[in-house]
Formats: sequence, C-alpha cells, structure tokens
Amino acid sequence: MRREPIDPSGLEWSRVSPKYLRVRLLGWLIGSVVWLVLASVPLVLRLTGLWDSFPPPVIAWGLPAVVLVIAVWRGVLLPRQVASIGYAERDDDLLVRQGVFFQRTMVVPYGRMQYVDVAVGPLERAFGICTLKLHTASPATNALIPGLPSEEGTRLREQLSARGEARLAGL
Amino acid sequence: MTAPPGSSGGLPAAPAPDGPEATAPPADTWHRVHFISPLVRGWIALVAILYFVGRDWFEGLFSGGSRERGPLPEGIGLLVAGGIVLGVVVVVAAAFLVSWYFTRYQVTAEHVRVHSGVVFRQQRQARLDRVQAIDIVQPFLARIFGLAELKFEVADAGESAVRLAFLKLADARRLRATILARAAGVDPDPEHPEEAVEAPEREVVAIPPARVVGAAVLSGTTVALVVAAAVVTTLGVVLETPIIATSFIPILIGVVGAYWSALNTGYNFRAATSPDGIRMRYGLLDTRSQTVPPGRVQALSIQQSPLWRLKGWYRVTVNVAGYGASVSSEGQARATLLPVGTRDEVLQILALVLPDPGTPRPVEVFTAGMAGRDGAEGFATTPRRARWLAPLAWRRTGFVGTRTALLMRSGVLWRQLVVVPHERTQSLSIEQGPVERRFRVSNLQFQTTPGPVNPRVLLADSATAWELFHGQAARAAEARRRSGPEQWMKPVPGALPAAAATGTTEDTAATADTGAGEAGFTGDTGQTRHDDAGTPQDDARPAPGVRDVMPEVPLYAPAPGGTEEPADGR
Repeated sequence: MRREPIDPSGLEWSRVSPKYLRVRLLGWLIGSVVWLVLASVPLVLRLTGLWDSFPPPVIAWGLPAVVLVIAVWRGVLLPRQVASIGYAERDDDLLVRQGVFFQRTMVVPYGRMQYVDVAVGPLERAFGICTLKLHTASPATNALIPGLPSEEGTRLREQLSARGEARLAGL
Repeated sequence: MTAPPGSSGGLPAAPAPDGPEATAPPADTWHRVHFISPLVRGWIALVAILYFVGRDWFEGLFSGGSRERGPLPEGIGLLVAGGIVLGVVVVVAAAFLVSWYFTRYQVTAEHVRVHSGVVFRQQRQARLDRVQAIDIVQPFLARIFGLAELKFEVADAGESAVRLAFLKLADARRLRATILARAAGVDPDPEHPEEAVEAPEREVVAIPPARVVGAAVLSGTTVALVVAAAVVTTLGVVLETPIIATSFIPILIGVVGAYWSALNTGYNFRAATSPDGIRMRYGLLDTRSQTVPPGRVQALSIQQSPLWRLKGWYRVTVNVAGYGASVSSEGQARATLLPVGTRDEVLQILALVLPDPGTPRPVEVFTAGMAGRDGAEGFATTPRRARWLAPLAWRRTGFVGTRTALLMRSGVLWRQLVVVPHERTQSLSIEQGPVERRFRVSNLQFQTTPGPVNPRVLLADSATAWELFHGQAARAAEARRRSGPEQWMKPVPGALPAAAATGTTEDTAATADTGAGEAGFTGDTGQTRHDDAGTPQDDARPAPGVRDVMPEVPLYAPAPGGTEEPADGR
C-alpha cells in the first residue's frame, strides 16, 4: 500500500478486503443517484415548463452541477480512502489508520479494550465482509475496522478478546 | 402531611424482621433506607398539592366573605375538597411508601446489592472493588432531618450505580467506611466484621468564603453582566426608551442564579487526604462529601481565565470514570477538585493526585505548564515554521512527559494544563490534515473517560509527535504494570520493581510506623502489617492493610531545596 507521510515506520499494515471497495462504490452509486435526482428537481421543473418562474437558471443548473462534482470527487477519492484503511497488530496494542487528506492513526492497548463488536449489514453480508469495532472505557475511542473478510473478522475478534483478557488492567 | 406519620405508624409490624435498625445483623442482612426518606423525596409533590389546594381555599375564604355566600354549601364544598386533597396526598404518600418498602439494599464482602421496584422489579449488584467514587450528599431538606444520600459510582458514566436515599448521616458514613474498607481489600476484623472505622483524614486545602465570592465576581458571569448592562444602557439612550431597562430582569435572574450556583457549590470547600483517597466537602445549603479512591483520576486539568490571572487563581477539574460528562452545575461541581485555588494549593492537589511526579523538578515543571511558554522545563512547543497556524498560542501549546505523567499545555488567554497519568491512557490517536502536513505538524488526541477534561496536543512537530505516540503506548504499558492494584490496600506479593524503592518509600514506611504508634495501633495484626509496610510501595500510598493511620501529606519540593528526594527522578 502507498506509504503516507504520517505512517509510522517499520509497521506491516494489514489492508481491508477489496470487496469493501465494491460495497463502498455501490453505496456511493446509490447515494449519488438519489442526491442527483433530488438536486435535479428544480431543473426538471424549469425545463418542463411546469414552474418556470421560481428557480433562477443559476440555481436550476448549478445545484445538480455542484452535486455531480461532489459525487464524482467522492467517487474518485473512494479507492484511495479504502486503500488508506489499515490495521496492525503489535505485541501490546492494535493500530488503526484511515484517511487520505485528513489522516488519523489510533493506537489501542489490548489491556484497555472493554469489548469488541462485529457488525454485519445486509450489503456487507452479501459480500461476505464485516465491520469490527473496539470499545474502551472512553466513548471517544473510535477504532473502527470496516471491510474485514468474515473469517478474518472472527479471527481478529477472538485474538483481541484473548489478548485483552491476558492484559486486562481495569481502567 | 398527616398521611406519612399515620402510615408509618402502621409500619412496625411489616418491616420488623429486617428493619433498618435490626440489632446485631449477620453479615448479609437486607436493609431499608430511612423511613422518613419517602417524605423527604416526595416533599415537592406534597408541597405542590398543598400549595394549590391552600391557594384555592385561601382565595375562597376571601371571595366567600365578600360575596356573602351561604355558610352551609361552603362547608360541604370545603369538606369535599378537603377529602379529595387528603385522598390525593394519601395516594402520593402511599406510592412513595410502597416504593420505599420494596427498596432494599445489602452490602456483602464483595458486592453491594439493591432491589427495587414494585411492578417492574430491579435487582442491581455492583462489585465493591470497581468503585470509582463515593459521594454523601445532603440536600437542604435532608440536612434538616439529619439524613444523607449515598452515591456509589462505577465506571459506566451514566446514572449512579447505587443511590441510597436517604440514610441517617452516621449510617451513611459508616456504610461508606465499610464499602471503602472492603473495596480497598482490607481484611475485616474477625471479631467485628461489620465495623469498619472511617479512615482518618488530614485537611490539605480549605478555601475561604471570601475567595469563592471573589472568584464568582471575577468570572465570565460578571463580564456577561457588564456587557448586557452596556448594551441595554446604550439601547436605552439611543432609542430614548427607559422601558428597555425592564429587559434587565431576566438577565439579572440568570446572573444571580449563576452567582448562587458558584457560591453554593464552592462554599466552604475543603480537600483532604486519607488512606481512602481524596476527600472533598463543600456546599452552602446542600452539602456534599466526595471520596475518590487512589488511582481513580483519569485526567486532570488546571485552568485559568484572563480575569483570574489578576489574582493568580486556578481551577482544577478531573475526569473520574463514575462522574461522567454531566453539564449540570451539580455535575460540574462534582468533577471539580479545586474550585478556585492559588498556585501552591494547585500543586498540593496535584501532589495528592500524582504522588510521584516522575521528575526531580516538579514545582518548576508544573509551574511552567501552568503559566510558562516556550521550551522551558522541556516543553516541546509548536515549531516556529507553523506559527501562523496559531499566531498567539504557538509558543505556549506544547507537552512534556515525566516518568509518570504527560503534561499538555495550551491557551494564551484561557490557560490550561492537562495532566494524564501514563497508566490512565485509554487510547491515543494522531491526526494530520493537509495544511498541517504542509507544515509537518500533527495533532495528538488522547481518549479518556467522559468528563470535562479533553487531553490533546495541537500542532506538535510531526517527528516529536510520532515519538510521543510510540513512546506513550510503551510508557502506558509499563506504567500499568507498575501501578497499584485496583484494591488499593491489597498487599501485592513482590510485584514491584526495584525502581520504586527510593528514599521516599522509606519515608512512607517510617511515617506509617510512627503513625501506627501514635494511634495506639497495637496487637498482632499491627505487627504483621508492619512487615508488609516494609515492602516498597507506590510513593505516598499507605502501607498495605494499614488503613487507620493518619496519612502523610505528599508535597512537591522545589528543585534547589529538594534534598530529600534526589533519587526520585533518576
């Protein structure tokens, strides 16, 4: 994977499943179409002559154009965003990273984990992937690893639970 | 008001088997809270009913007199109305009474249990060694009756795990002592397992009422009042309508409320140290006594507003897992370790929270954190190249790590210093946006339990930030291995590294010895404890098992005069 400047050196990042990109692209496609349809309503009204006085042409054309540009931009960015998601298991802690422009790397010591969630939505189930979330005593700990293959998610959950138990340290 | 005494008169038959005053109870008896508590809890409802009824009746008295009604219909109406009122009062009182009857609690060697509810029953059980804090609260009305509410907090940041409202003050104190003794892991006295003495305490900080008033006067409330006054006066002059002055009234009400809240929660504030942890007491009408056992403070913040700088005052707030992130004035008061204090008092409080500062120059380092700027005392500030991202604060924003804690300093006008003990770090993230990447700086965000303190370092040099990021994970792991046990007085069988065996530990052991002698602590248990006291413990933490000795007040010594603890920071 592409090494970002914020990456710590000497770490082997595990990448998420390529299927996750497809899930995200599908979600992006559906979302973009819905937004585009909604944003095109003034334009359609104007073109069909149903209501040709209200939306000035700037808004009628500008709104869908802006939505289209944002959608395309997000679509172009999506593969890189998905590629930027990574996690690394170390002896004492788990590292999770994400983000292309706004990068974030989080370290969660195993002994701090209170519980581990594995969640699967309908779309994710169809592609055989899952989302894993770590919880510590702080609700601000937002350690989310999406797009794990199901068996990898199960393995990681068991592994994290076992390591958390071995290193459990109250609060 | 006639209902509760009447009903309580019929009570002795029912709760006799396990009443609150049962004599010589075996270890696991069920108790009820004091029988007046339904009255104290329901007094608002009763007062409201009586108020409405009383007003009607009162008005009726006058209007009846003026309209010259016949006396007989009025008498009947009065009777009917009185009957209805009495009925409502009885029903309300009965509801509270039934709720009281079905609420029972029990404190065993390991758990505190509360059963409550009539239709939907709830059985709650909390582990004693998971206690994060214990409060004894006395609302004004309960204080009149000599009653108190006991709150037992565990780490889920929501409602109190166990609330016992209300107990006799002495009972609440005894219960707190019992819970703390068992939570601390002290072996109970085999002859009187029920009796746990309250750990002695030594007062370290007392805030004079004048300073609380001064702090309220020098607060943002006053600024808001002055600004509002200026705006209203200007508007009045410009529009030439003096009526606008009436808009002052709601502002005034709000301001008086804010002043009152500051006074009520800060009045008579006292902090003390005891083997059970930090004790705080405060309150004007409602009084509150809080106990935070050792090692329960997750993060601490020292703040100073621009106005307070005139007097050199600071406020200390903490994140404690059980207190949560309440924004109410009560919640804020609970999370306040020192409402307004001088620099020396702040250092004193810091010494209680962090007995081992992990540096040979604690006074200098913390002072630099509170008021300093630039790289003095090892603070790593925002690099010069990124100064335009924070033109005012870049010389102050920074962090420094000692052996035991991380200090994060920020703010030029509203100064802040956040202290996080290494072993309390939950997780840590490093963030960088495109602009920050251009200047090679990063933001560090520490995650901690919910509370007013938000530990983070903004705009740190990227290389330094990564160093901290990796070092912190390792330091936190190391500190967790070294940190004291959850049951803070449980003797640890030789789990402490040689690094802890400094001069200060010998001091602690010595004071424990003399303290025990002074307290007349004799007998075989005392002897065995003395052996335990010889093992090196965390600094200023009492020797294991010895709970009823007067605690020594830890204090940071300034570096030049700090000859007693030269080995500490090595």
